[in-house]
Amino acid sequence: MLAVMFFAFIIQVVSRYFFNMPTGWTSELTVIMWLWLVLWGAAFVVREDEEIRFDLLYGSVRKGVQRVMVICTALVLIALFLISLPASWDYVTFMKIQSSAYLKIRFDWLFSIYIIFAVAVVCRYIWILARALGARWPGKKPHQTGPQA
Amino acid sequence: MSLTDPFTACILLLVTLAVLGLPVAYSMILASILYLLMAGLDMGTAAEQLLNSMYTSYTMLAVPLFILAAELMNSGSMTTRLTNFANALVGRFRGGLAQVNVLQSLLFAGMSGSALADAGGMGKMMMRMMTQDGKYTPSFAAALSAVTAVVAPILPPSIPMVIYALVSNASIGYLFLGGILPGLLISASQMLIVWWSARRNNFPTEEPVPVRELPRITLRALPALMLPVVLIVGLRGGVMTPTEAAAVAAAYALFVSVVIYRDVGLREFYTSLLNAARTTTSIGMLIAAALVFNYIVTIENIPNAIRSLLLSYDLTPLTFLLLVNVLLLLIGAVLEGSTIILIIVPVLIPTAAALGIDPIHFGVVVVFNVMIGLVTPPYGLLLFVVKRVSGASMGAILRDTVPFLLGLLVALMLITLIPDIVLFVPRLFGYSG
Amino acid sequence: QSNVPLRFSAVFSQQDIRAEMMERFAAALGDGFDFQGFYGATLFRQGTELVALQRSNLEMGNIAPQDISEQLPEWSVLTSAYLFRDADHLVAFFQSDAGEEMKKMAEDRLGIRVLGPTYFGVRHVGLRNQRDINTPADMAGLRLRMPGGDSWQFLGQALGANPTPVAYAEVYTALQTGAIDGQDNPMPNVQNMKFYEVMSQIVKTSHLVGFDVLTISKSTWDKLTPEQQAQVQAAADEAIAWSNAQHLQNEADLIAFFEEQGLTITEPDLAAFRTYAQQLYQSSGAAARWPDGIVERINGL
Ligand code: NA
Ligand code: NA
Repeated sequence: MLAVMFFAFIIQVVSRYFFNMPTGWTSELTVIMWLWLVLWGAAFVVREDEEIRFDLLYGSVRKGVQRVMVICTALVLIALFLISLPASWDYVTFMKIQSSAYLKIRFDWLFSIYIIFAVAVVCRYIWILARALGARWPGKKPHQTGPQA
Repeated sequence: MSLTDPFTACILLLVTLAVLGLPVAYSMILASILYLLMAGLDMGTAAEQLLNSMYTSYTMLAVPLFILAAELMNSGSMTTRLTNFANALVGRFRGGLAQVNVLQSLLFAGMSGSALADAGGMGKMMMRMMTQDGKYTPSFAAALSAVTAVVAPILPPSIPMVIYALVSNASIGYLFLGGILPGLLISASQMLIVWWSARRNNFPTEEPVPVRELPRITLRALPALMLPVVLIVGLRGGVMTPTEAAAVAAAYALFVSVVIYRDVGLREFYTSLLNAARTTTSIGMLIAAALVFNYIVTIENIPNAIRSLLLSYDLTPLTFLLLVNVLLLLIGAVLEGSTIILIIVPVLIPTAAALGIDPIHFGVVVVFNVMIGLVTPPYGLLLFVVKRVSGASMGAILRDTVPFLLGLLVALMLITLIPDIVLFVPRLFGYSG
Repeated sequence: QSNVPLRFSAVFSQQDIRAEMMERFAAALGDGFDFQGFYGATLFRQGTELVALQRSNLEMGNIAPQDISEQLPEWSVLTSAYLFRDADHLVAFFQSDAGEEMKKMAEDRLGIRVLGPTYFGVRHVGLRNQRDINTPADMAGLRLRMPGGDSWQFLGQALGANPTPVAYAEVYTALQTGAIDGQDNPMPNVQNMKFYEVMSQIVKTSHLVGFDVLTISKSTWDKLTPEQQAQVQAAADEAIAWSNAQHLQNEADLIAFFEEQGLTITEPDLAAFRTYAQQLYQSSGAAARWPDGIVERINGL
C-alpha cells in the first residue's frame, strides 16, 4: 500500500509538471492508501513490541503484577470496543449514500477497514487475555533490545 | 468533578490505561468511547472522527513518505557514505557525530515542515549511525534525534505555521521569514549543549581523516548530499508542493541507490517498504487516536473555559505571553500539535491582538511552544517516535532529553522577550509590523 | 422545559464574518435555545457535516451545495458556473417557488431543512503572473488550482483552463513557487489566506457566486413548536441579511486594497465566458439530472 502511495505521488508530480494534466485521482488514492495502511497495519502487521506505549511502570514491576496489568487493560479494551461495535457498524453502513470524488468508491467500502480493524484488535486482545490467564504466561520484555533493522 | 462526569472519567481512564502499559493510541480511543457512552452520544462518532480526519489529512502524507525515503537510504550505502563524509568533516572533534545530527536536522528543516518526518525518517538513520559500534548510548542518540527534529517546522516550510496563518490571518510569507532566526538559534544552542556534554561525558572522537582523502569521500557522498539541493530546487522552482516533496525524496533515494550506487535491488526495496510501513502504522495510529480525542476536547468546550480564565486576569503583553508559554507547554504535554493550533490558539489570538502583540511574533512563539510540547512527556509524540525507532527505554531517553529541553526553554524565553529575533528578517523584506 | 440544544459546526474560522453572523443568530433566538458554535472544522471535518446532521450528531450546519449534490444530484445545478448573477439574485432564488422546490427536495430526501443561503463572495481567477485574458481561449494551458472533486474540476474546464487540485493549505506555497499559475477564490479568501502576496493579477471572471446553506436537521426542526420554528427562521433571515451586506461591502473595499498592493485588476469578456461555460455544462452528463427548466426559471428571476 505504501508502494501504491509512493507511485501515485510520483505520477501526480510528473503529470502535473511535465504533461500539465489534472490528477485528482492520485491524491485520492494516496489518502485511501494511508487510511488503509494505518488501520490494516495496526490490525494485522504491527507486533506487540512495536506498539508505542509507556513502559516506565510496566518495566519496573514483578511478572505477577505485569500479568494483572495486562488482564485489566485487555478486559477494558475488549469490553469498550465490543460495546461500540454496533454503533460503528451503523455509521460505516450509513456511509453507502456517498462515494469518493474521483474513483467513485462507495464510502461504506472505503470505511469498512475500521470494522475489520476493530474486530481484529478485539480478537488479538482476547488471545492476549487468554495467554495472561493461562499457566504458561511468558511475561513480556519491558522494551525492545535494540534498533530495528 | 466526579466519577460520573463523562469528561473526568474519560481522562482518568486514559491515564490509567496508558500507565498500565496499553498502547497509547488504544488508550485514547477507548477513553473517547467511554466518554461518548457516558454522555449518551453516538458511539459511532469515534469511528467517524478517526476515518474522516485520516481521510482529510492530506498534508500528513509527508510523514510516511519521508520515512520511506530514510529507509531506502539505510538499505543501500547512502547512509554509510554520508557517515564517512560527516566523519571526515567533524569526526575529529569530540562528539562530532552528535554535531552532525544537529546539522542534519537543520538541513532537513529547509525542505520539510514536519518534525515527525524528521525524527521518524532521517532521525532513524542518525540513530543507527551514532549507535553502531556502541559509540553513543541508544538513549542519547534517541534524545538528540528528537530534540533536533524540533527545528523542522520552525524553519520554512512549516505545516504548523500554515495552520496558524489559517486561524490567525497572519501572512504565511512573513511567518516563514520570522522562523529563520529562531530556527538558527535552536540549532546553535543545541550545538553548544552537545559541545558541553561532549567534554563532560568524554564523547568519542573519530579517527582523523587525512585532508587529501576529503575530495574522494565528498565525491562518493555527493549524490546523497544532493538530496536537499534537489528538494529545495524542486520546491522553489514550483515542480512540487511540500507534501509531494516527500515522495520526490523517496524517489531520489531509490534512484541513487539503484542506478548510481547499485546496491539496492528488488528485495531490498521490498524490505524498505515493509519497514517503512511498520513505522508508519505505529505513528499513524497515534495521530488517528489523537484526532478522535480532539473531538472530546472540542465538544467539552475546553477552549472556552481557557478564554474566560484569561479574561479574568488583568494582563500586560509580557505576562500574557509568559502565561501563554506556560499554558501551551502544559497543554503540549497532553495534546497533539496541530490540534492545539486549531483549537486552543484561536482562543488566545483576540487577547493577543487586544494587547498589541505582533501576530507574526505571536505565531512563531506559539509554534515554538507547540514544538517543545512534542518532546515533553507524557504526550511527547517525538519521544514516542524515537523510542519506537531506537528501542531505548523511555526513562533513559527522558534523562538524556533534560539538558536539551532546558536549552529549548531558554531559547523560547529569548524569543518571547525579544520580539526582534523573530521580526528582524521579515522587516528586511518589507514587513511593517 | 429544558432548552433546545443547537450544536452548530462550520468550516469558516472564529474570525470570519459568518462566525459573527452566527453569534447574532444565537442572540436573536433568545431564551429556550442552547446554541453552541464550533468553527474552523474543529468538531466535524469539511464535507462531513451533512452526514453528522443526518445521524443526529449535530443540529445545525453550514453546508456547501457541492456536498448536498453528492447525495442529491438535482442540486448540482446550483454549483454550475454563471448561474447566479450576484448575491441578490441568489437570495431571490431561495425565496422563489423554484427555490422552495429545491429546499423541499432536500428536506424530503436528505432530512435537512435549509434556512437560507450564506453568501461569501463571488469567485474570480487570480494569477501568479500577468496575462492578457479576455475569452476562455486565453485561459488555455493555464494551471488553475481548483478545489478537489469532480464538480470543481469541471468548473475549471468550463473556464477554459487546465484545472488541478491542490490542498487549500498548500495553495500559497504552490502559487509562490509556480507549481500552479493561478487559483479561483472569492476576494475575502484571497485576503484571509494572503494569496495576494504571491499574485499579480485578478481577472474578474465572476464565474460562481459562492454560498453555503445554513441548515437545521429535520428531526430537530420537527420537534420545535410552530412559534419556535418561526423564531429560528426569523433569526436566520436577519443574520444572513446582515452577513451578506457585510460581505458585499468587504468585497468592494478589497478591490481598492488589492490595487493598493500593486495587483492589476482586469475585466474579461463575461458574455464569452458565460456562453462557453453554459454550453459545456449543457452538453455534460451532469445537466441530465437537473430539474426540467430550472436554468431558465433562475435566469428569469
Ligand atoms: Na521546515
Ligand atoms: Na537530527
